[in-house]
Order: sequence, then structure tokens, then C-alpha cells
Amino acid sequence: MLSTVSRQLKSHPALVPLFIFIGGGTVMSGAYLLRLAMGPHVSWNRNGNPEPWNKTEPTQQHKFYSVNMDYSKLKKEGPDF
Amino acid sequence: MSDVIEEKIKNYRTAPFDARFPNTNQTRNCFQNYLDFHRCNKALSDKGQDVAPCDWYQRVYKSICPMSWVAKWDDQIEAGSFPGKI
Repeated sequence: MLSTVSRQLKSHPALVPLFIFIGGGTVMSGAYLLRLAMGPHVSWNRNGNPEPWNKTEPTQQHKFYSVNMDYSKLKKEGPDF
Repeated sequence: MSDVIEEKIKNYRTAPFDARFPNTNQTRNCFQNYLDFHRCNKALSDKGQDVAPCDWYQRVYKSICPMSWVAKWDDQIEAGSFPGKI
């Protein structure tokens, strides 16, 4: 199937940007999904690591991009127990 | 430590920004504070200490959570069927 595609591409070279953009889009969405999966808001192991978001610093930014939020001034709010 | 918390509870206005839950969906924030309140109560009373500092978590979850959820969870705790780990 790959040989068919590359043969057809050689005769229609204008189709190459199509592959570039679609491939780039797939890579970017896959990468963002991976970033979300490895982040602290997912619990993969219910018995071993039930609440990974509690293990992060109060100053850690979890969003990809945040506007108008100074994370360095935050502290842990509630009492320890 | 405890008078810092007392001070904070006295000057409480609303739930502060929690970096663990930065997005619009605050469901987990509500549930986490509810759990933390009950865990704090259990841990401090097991150690024999005063449970007053745990009131911070109660104020936060009462600010954030819908009352129907709080009532449902309270009923579940009394009935022993609460799904969270306390």
C-alpha cells in the first residue's frame, strides 16, 4: 500500500503538503494526549497512586498556557494532618 | 500553625485559587476538599488533637460544592456507603 501511495505521489507532487499537514496534525494531537496522560490529573493506578494531583507543589502550573496568573506567590492553604 | 489557620478561617471570604484544579471544572476540587475534611477529622482525632483546623476544608467545600451533593454524601457517610476513601 505504501508503494502505491508513493508511486501516486511521484506523479502528483502537489499532494505532498497534504501529507505534511495531516501528519503534523496527527503528531501534535498525539503529543498533547500524551502530555495529558502523563500529567497529574489522571490516576492510572488506583491502588498504588490514587490521587497524583495531591503530590504536586502549590506553585506548579498544570495548564498549558495561563494568562494573568502569578504562580510563584501561591502557598498551600489548608492545614496539614 | 494552628493560630495561622484560625486567622485564615476567621478572615475567610471564599475558596482560594487551588493550582491543582486550574480549569473551569471544579468538581474534583469540591470532592477533594470534602475528602480532606473527613480525613483531617479522622487523622487529628486519632492523634488526640483538636479538630478545629479542619474547618478550613469544610469552609472551602461548602463554598464550592452544590448543596445537594454535600447532602447526598453526608447521607452516604451515615449509611456507610460513601465511595471515597476516608
